[in-house]
Amino acid sequence: MRSLLLRIFVAFWSIIVITIVIAAALGYTYAERARATVQNFEVSEAMLEASAALRAGGREGLAEWLRSLPGPAVSLIYVLDDRGRDLLDRRLPPPVAIAMRRFGEPRARRPAPPREFGNLRPARPFTQLVGPDGHVYTFFVLPPQSALGRWLTERGVVGVVILALLVSGAISYLLARAISEPIRRFRESAVAIAEGNLDTRVTDRVGHRRDEIGLLAEDFDRMADELQRAWQRQTELTRNVSHELRSPLARLRVALELVRRKSGDLPELDRIETETGRLDGLIGRLLEFSRLDADPHEPRARVDLDELVQSVVEDVRYEYGQNDRESRIAFVSDGRERSAAFSGYPNALRSGLENVLRNAMQHGSEKGEVRVRVRRDGSDVVLTVADRGGGVPEDELDAIFEPFYRASRQSPTPRPGSGLGLAIAARAIAMNGGSLTAANVADGLSVEIRLPLEG
Amino acid sequence: MMGPGNRILIIDDDRELGEMLTEFLAPDRFELDACLDGEDGLRALERQSYDLLILDVMLPGANGIDVLKRLRQSSDIPVIMLTARGDDVDRILGLEFGADDYLAKPFNPRELLARIKAILRRSRPTVSRAGPLTVGAIQMDTRSRRVAAGGVPLRLTGTEFELLRCLAESPGDVVSKERLSNQVLGRKYMPYDRSIDTHISNVRRKLADAGVANPSIRSRRGVGYCLLVDA
Repeated sequence: MRSLLLRIFVAFWSIIVITIVIAAALGYTYAERARATVQNFEVSEAMLEASAALRAGGREGLAEWLRSLPGPAVSLIYVLDDRGRDLLDRRLPPPVAIAMRRFGEPRARRPAPPREFGNLRPARPFTQLVGPDGHVYTFFVLPPQSALGRWLTERGVVGVVILALLVSGAISYLLARAISEPIRRFRESAVAIAEGNLDTRVTDRVGHRRDEIGLLAEDFDRMADELQRAWQRQTELTRNVSHELRSPLARLRVALELVRRKSGDLPELDRIETETGRLDGLIGRLLEFSRLDADPHEPRARVDLDELVQSVVEDVRYEYGQNDRESRIAFVSDGRERSAAFSGYPNALRSGLENVLRNAMQHGSEKGEVRVRVRRDGSDVVLTVADRGGGVPEDELDAIFEPFYRASRQSPTPRPGSGLGLAIAARAIAMNGGSLTAANVADGLSVEIRLPLEG
Repeated sequence: MMGPGNRILIIDDDRELGEMLTEFLAPDRFELDACLDGEDGLRALERQSYDLLILDVMLPGANGIDVLKRLRQSSDIPVIMLTARGDDVDRILGLEFGADDYLAKPFNPRELLARIKAILRRSRPTVSRAGPLTVGAIQMDTRSRRVAAGGVPLRLTGTEFELLRCLAESPGDVVSKERLSNQVLGRKYMPYDRSIDTHISNVRRKLADAGVANPSIRSRRGVGYCLLVDA
């Protein structure tokens, strides 16, 4: 039983059912005791006593005797006078009333039905006494074992039990739901926030309640507010810093050219220019990274993945072909995804793929070709980029998607990478609803981009 | 080679950068005026005629893209956008709204100078290949730099005109992106540079708006573009 709803429901319902069973058992015990008493009650002896009481005290004496009988026996014996009224003025139970109807008033002796073949001759299940005043008293003794049975038939207890089970089941279910439903909504909100929808609020889902759940929802939302603010602050800070750094850097580059003009070419100036360029590249990537956190800044569009991959491969080939003749990229596509266009953010997608491919070129192209493959896998399109750069340690496979993470496979000589490439890729792909995973293959690293075609 | 006293306007909120650029461009006989925001810049453009505008995307108040949109309603002045590096969207938006070229800021000033020269060269009427050019429904007058589609004048920016002319000179032939970049933008084709593609899509859109279906610009994946006339 994993579901809270089921657990609470079963708990409540079993408590209610157990209560009903105990109540029924108690009632049964009582009925059993009554039955035992009645079984010990000898009718013939009682008739003698009744006759004596009638003789001594008349109608009042008989009533007195009736009242003095033990409790359960009183409830089984009815004594009716000439007018068909009980001496103790009790309402006649159905069996007595039926007998009265069938055999008429006890006094009006009906003639026996003619003795003909096939006629019923109903027995008369009652004894009559004639009092000193000439009145006839009729005794009805109900069958003793009917104490529980009568109760059952009279109230239709089977129906009552079924009804009780249904009602208690419904109440238990509603109660269990009232507790587990808000928890389910909480969970939905928490999942949505974890997935990056930071503007999700629980109070929108559980409503504004004044109970403990409502208070919890408010606290939860305060936490989400804080989380969202912190996230926004961080993103804005990164973006502002990048933008603010742009201006002094732009002036620096112009100043550099002015100096060059006045004092001629100095090797140190080239060095300054190179470093300025690096700083510039880093700021650019930082800005790109922080941009991907916010909204996509572009409309969704249909993207022909095959074409996109092809054009990115060409760009990267071009970039690396200029400095390094050895670098090669092999592009394989099974060609089926051309008909399956993907709906996403084209620029983010391009940037994601570019960064994965550049990373592969930087780390593994010297030792062999980088393989790019596009294939269909069920309803997903899978792009794999595999290099032959020796891979990364298994326990660092997830960390390579963190900003400024430098895998230990890196050679001591500084690489041109900014440390942001794969982090940018991870965000860009996530923005498109896809996932990015890394695995070590034969002699290098394989990065897999998985994009769902629908949804 | 350059005419005397080319006037350039820069709209950028960085006053010091403007001053330094004025100094930097002076030896090449470029006169640089600086405006610090978009409104100021648009007024300056109305007051005086400039040969070229350098427009920063990040401006206080109205951003550069909005300034460009308003400017393009009335003027075909060549525009170089300064965009943030790592901000492809601004770059592409800028080109889509009719900028002739862009440069990521912080830029190398020599690169800026080269682009300015390239743009001014192509926005000047050429003498060499004079004469009208007709491909399908398109008539191009290379001397007056006017284009008409089915008799209706088309408004193209200088870059878009050059691009169309480059394709129209050899209809049916695929012209590589490298060649287009060299010939039209005056610079080497760089990877990740979508300028040509964006300019092409602008021309396509303008042709479609004018109802021209023939000739059409086709792309050859990984190679370049061609202007195709259906028989």
